[in-house]
Amino acid sequence: MKYTTFNQQNNDALKEPMFFGAPVNVARYDQQKHNIFEKLIEKQISFFWRPEEVDVSKDRIDFQKLSDSEKHIFISNLKYQTLLDSVQGRSPNIAFLPIVSLPELETWVETWSFFETIHSRSYTHILRNLFADPSAIFEDIVVNDEIKRRAADISKYYDDLIFATQLWQTRGEGIYDIEGETHTITMRELKKKLYLCMHSVNALEAIRFYVSFACTFAFAERELMEGNSKIIRLIARDENLHLTSTQHIINLWAKGKDDPEMAEVAAECHDEALAIFTYAVEQEKQWADYLFKQGSMIGLNKDILCQYVEFIANQRMSAIGLGQPYAVKSNPLPWMNNYLNSDNVQVAPQESEISSYLVGQIDSEVSADDFGDFDL
Amino acid sequence: MANTKAGLVISVKEVTSLPHQPDKTLLQSLEAQNIEVHYHCREGYCGACRCRLLKGQVEYSVDPLAYVDDDEILPCCCHPLSDIEIEFS
Repeated sequence: MKYTTFNQQNNDALKEPMFFGAPVNVARYDQQKHNIFEKLIEKQISFFWRPEEVDVSKDRIDFQKLSDSEKHIFISNLKYQTLLDSVQGRSPNIAFLPIVSLPELETWVETWSFFETIHSRSYTHILRNLFADPSAIFEDIVVNDEIKRRAADISKYYDDLIFATQLWQTRGEGIYDIEGETHTITMRELKKKLYLCMHSVNALEAIRFYVSFACTFAFAERELMEGNSKIIRLIARDENLHLTSTQHIINLWAKGKDDPEMAEVAAECHDEALAIFTYAVEQEKQWADYLFKQGSMIGLNKDILCQYVEFIANQRMSAIGLGQPYAVKSNPLPWMNNYLNSDNVQVAPQESEISSYLVGQIDSEVSADDFGDFDL
Repeated sequence: MANTKAGLVISVKEVTSLPHQPDKTLLQSLEAQNIEVHYHCREGYCGACRCRLLKGQVEYSVDPLAYVDDDEILPCCCHPLSDIEIEFS
């Protein structure tokens, strides 16, 4: 079915499924089929922040003091996060918007993706502060094998869905030979691809960020790279919300509260969804291995990090009906909770390097000398 | 928060029973008795503290955004209205 930017048919969006129904026409939010997406949009917008609000200038001094293995951990994590947000800043838009049928979900996807672009911009903000020329770091992202392997796995399900959608929207259902490959396009196949893609995104938002987050917060526990940690806290808060949205979508499907055919697809693809998640867990553990191959850092090692990934995975998997396959029962990194708590995100300005409260600021440094000619 | 009723009992299945503390969330009451509960946002949007409500009733102080199943609650943003029994998976 051809995509149209404004569907002229008078349709009732309240009767449409989330995806693969009639294209959206009027962007109206006075009524919603699934009001959770409207609430998520409002919450996400209330979280708005800009990387420049966080002063990362002290991190440059801290960075010089890190050991080589710690520098490797810090920079590798930033590269990986840059990759993840590069994908997430565009893919939900390209993959989901052409097939979405609810105005509130359409706007949620756009809001979600927009916030990922803020995250991407904040990595540039962090790196520009650490290096006079951060080009080498960015260029390594497409060369580094460890990162490339993850990129391939993350983008695979998106690319699959996008290509199938393009074929369906230009030629309709059928069997097509394209560049020596046969593609079968049926609505059922499209829905399967969408289902698996959503699981892949869910796994990305659920666990792929958490090894990097743990390392960042472990530095902050030692009062190092605190500007960076503040930015990552804001990012973690957003990612939690994104995860909530993918969990809702998956559960709405599985419980038959949206498209009844998606409930069948969910049952049919349960094992594949489980495999996507457990493979992401394995990849994260391999990432921990890569990070610590040159030596560990104080307060964190590969084994604890792997246990943390399994612990988080249990939580995330049970939320979407995939059970709790890992043996870890208690949180091996309890201090992580303090950094992920939204109360701690908005720190008191006078206690931190957040400079946004200074209107038209010029210089935030005040020393005792500044009061030299002050008489009472 | 209309949450001043004293003397309500929170039972955590196969763990312990404890009193609910007036004007606190369920999560805060659990923490006051040193029960380890996994949490992140404490505002109802991440779902990290999700648990099952086996008996009794709770009321939310903020609208929870995280996905909760029909028999599940988010302790971080609710308080009991009666004696309750909960279970962490």
